[in-house]
Amino acid sequence: MKNFIKNRDFILFSIIIFGVIVVGFANPYFVKPSSLSDVLTDTSILIILALSQMIVILIRAIDLSVASNLALSGMLISLLSTVYPELPVVFFIVLSCVIGTLLGVLNGVSIAILKVPFIVTTLGTLSIYRGLIYFVSDGKQVYSHEFSENFLALIHYKFLSLSFLFWVAILVFIVMYILLNHTRFGRNLYSLGGNPDAAKYIGINENKYIILAYAISGFFAGLCGYLWVARYSVASTQIAIGFELTVISACVVGGISVMGGVGTVVGCTLGALLIGLIRNALPAVDISQFWQLAISGAIILIAIIINTKTEQRKDKTIMVE
Amino acid sequence: MVVCLYMKLELKKISKFFPGIKALQNVDFNLKQNSIHALLGENGAGKSTLVKILCGVYQPDEGSIFLDQQKHIISDPTSSLQLGISAIHQESVMFDELSVMENIFIGNHIVKKNRLVDWFAMEKKTKELLSNLEADIQPDEKIKDLSIAQRHIVQISRSLVHDADIVIMDEPTAALSQKEIEELYSIIRNLKKQNKSIIFISHKLDEVLEICDEFTVLRDGEVINADLISNTNKDQLITNMAGREISQIFPKKQVTIEQEILNVKNLYKKTQFKNINFNLRKKEILGFYGLVGSGRTEVMKTIFGINKFDEGELTFKNSKLKIKSPKDAIQNGIVYLSEERQNLGITGLMSVKDNINMAIMDKNSKYLILDKLKDLQNASELQEKLNIKVSYWSQLAQSLSGGNQQKTVIAKWLSTKPEIIILDEPTKGIDVRSKSAVHEFMGELVDSGMSIIMISSELPEILGMCDRVVVMYKGLIKNILDVSKTSSEEIVGIASGE
Repeated sequence: MKNFIKNRDFILFSIIIFGVIVVGFANPYFVKPSSLSDVLTDTSILIILALSQMIVILIRAIDLSVASNLALSGMLISLLSTVYPELPVVFFIVLSCVIGTLLGVLNGVSIAILKVPFIVTTLGTLSIYRGLIYFVSDGKQVYSHEFSENFLALIHYKFLSLSFLFWVAILVFIVMYILLNHTRFGRNLYSLGGNPDAAKYIGINENKYIILAYAISGFFAGLCGYLWVARYSVASTQIAIGFELTVISACVVGGISVMGGVGTVVGCTLGALLIGLIRNALPAVDISQFWQLAISGAIILIAIIINTKTEQRKDKTIMVE
Repeated sequence: MVVCLYMKLELKKISKFFPGIKALQNVDFNLKQNSIHALLGENGAGKSTLVKILCGVYQPDEGSIFLDQQKHIISDPTSSLQLGISAIHQESVMFDELSVMENIFIGNHIVKKNRLVDWFAMEKKTKELLSNLEADIQPDEKIKDLSIAQRHIVQISRSLVHDADIVIMDEPTAALSQKEIEELYSIIRNLKKQNKSIIFISHKLDEVLEICDEFTVLRDGEVINADLISNTNKDQLITNMAGREISQIFPKKQVTIEQEILNVKNLYKKTQFKNINFNLRKKEILGFYGLVGSGRTEVMKTIFGINKFDEGELTFKNSKLKIKSPKDAIQNGIVYLSEERQNLGITGLMSVKDNINMAIMDKNSKYLILDKLKDLQNASELQEKLNIKVSYWSQLAQSLSGGNQQKTVIAKWLSTKPEIIILDEPTKGIDVRSKSAVHEFMGELVDSGMSIIMISSELPEILGMCDRVVVMYKGLIKNILDVSKTSSEEIVGIASGE
């Protein structure tokens, strides 16, 4: 079975390579290293958020509030940076993560302690966090010229011709890989999602894990809050609106089962890359903007159908012929 | 027998109350070291509650627990494990999607100095454990690919990893065949030799008498009797459990078997079964015996239309039968009662009445509108006939006891007025009294003209109830025997592929 999962990741990987080649024939400019590097940069935030969403989906839940969380944390540090432009950028990053984590913990507490179903909780906080942005910003935008230079400098930093954003995504990938495959915490997430009743019997504290999973999801939403506003040099009430659905699609395309307990870090990352590729490739091959949304939706559906088809359990072999 | 004096675990005057129910009342339970202790009682006698208290899932309302003469409070499952108590549960508490080694070490992963999980050490230790238990299981196999017997072995390995001194086994043999049971026995005896104490819960009294050293019988939450196994016998245990004498003899009604009603010819499904040939006659009870995973259930699911077959022919009352889905089967008068009562039989959140009427909704409707009166008539008729204990019609099926749930499923299928009923392990995990009620009822069904196919892993049940028995091994029918002319040894031999 281990081979099988690896195999599915391999299929996804092949689809991505195949896609790049096809688009490359249609538009040679697209496969230039510099534009591929742009695609990776553009997908970095999606990768980070998909990986953190994966943790929540693994325990049979979902976090719909990530995009609002991102936007709120991003707005708060942007406003602060206009008042205190001289503060070091690390301060803003850490602060954004802290705000995101707190917002995530609120979700977790509501679900684990107050027993509000996760879909209701995060649908609620999706609106609440988004609403708070209007409240703190009076509905105004923070424009690029209002950000201090050091706030934006880091984002333009490049190493080995890959952007800072993508390096952050790689770091998150490594951290998540170790967390989910090589720590007790990560393995217990799989068992909790795979069979919650059984997890209780082996002494896994479900509430603790729910709160931690949402805290992690919030932490990375906060991190992406900084990354997003810095990258686009704008903070507004509208940033990342609806992005949670893209994130969840990336997870599902990557083979994370919404039934919990199944999914790999590699698969999830590939899922995000595939979606990032689609979003970037469609404009590159001159497909009308009106079609883009429908086409990317269709591709996601197809990927999921393939997933479920291959996932369907084969009958156990009883008789060898 | 080893004389064991050391008292490992003592429960003193344990009581547990739930709203309206005294689940346990002043229960004393003494478990010695190196001992296999049977915990007996009918469903609802309090066995599960006692186990859950030991596992830290429930807290006793009164009484105290002594472990190695020390008073302990088992506040949660973690502390239960830390105290060396490990349970092998009836409902499999395993992780289907995770590997064998991870299931064994779950919650207890070996970690390196840097606190990362040491997969290599875990695999090595798993191989060691499994080879000690002489089990042919690979550490990286997924649990969902294992047989029930293999799952038990993984659970036993888990308790060994926890270095448990007390291993609780809740009906470990319920889904095992004779051969697998023998293997399990030798593992249990081995555990005993390693100074473990075992609490053994079972409804099968023969095996209790064979393997256990001591017993405690619970009835309605109270201890009725506790003694050495050597001081008791089967009849006494039955009387203790039921509070009255129940004849263990299977109430098979004598009926005259009539003409052939179903003929299965050369049924074949790739990797599942081949050359399936048998027939069923009117008013006959045909048994299907074999190891768990020998293909019995798969054949029946195919006949019922849940799975498709690749080749073969079904003849029903002398005409060719085409079954593409369960709907076709039901319309032709063939129904199938799954062994997975909870998953595939009962819809817990629906009322008892709706459960009973579920399969005949279209018959009870006119112009797509459900005729509530017909519904109620049908339900009450069957409820009376089967003596299903409901307090009110809208009572949810999940609030019924196991025996009554089983009756509700039977009622659901009887409403379709079937001619052939396929029963898959109909008495698995239900107590002696409900069991004999199910058996009695089967007799009534054949008497009224129906035919029954019964899959069972319990030989006494097969021998007591059936007219003929089909023995399967690895997807093939090895033999069809006349029950009156065979012996349990012969059947076990064939089923084990000898």
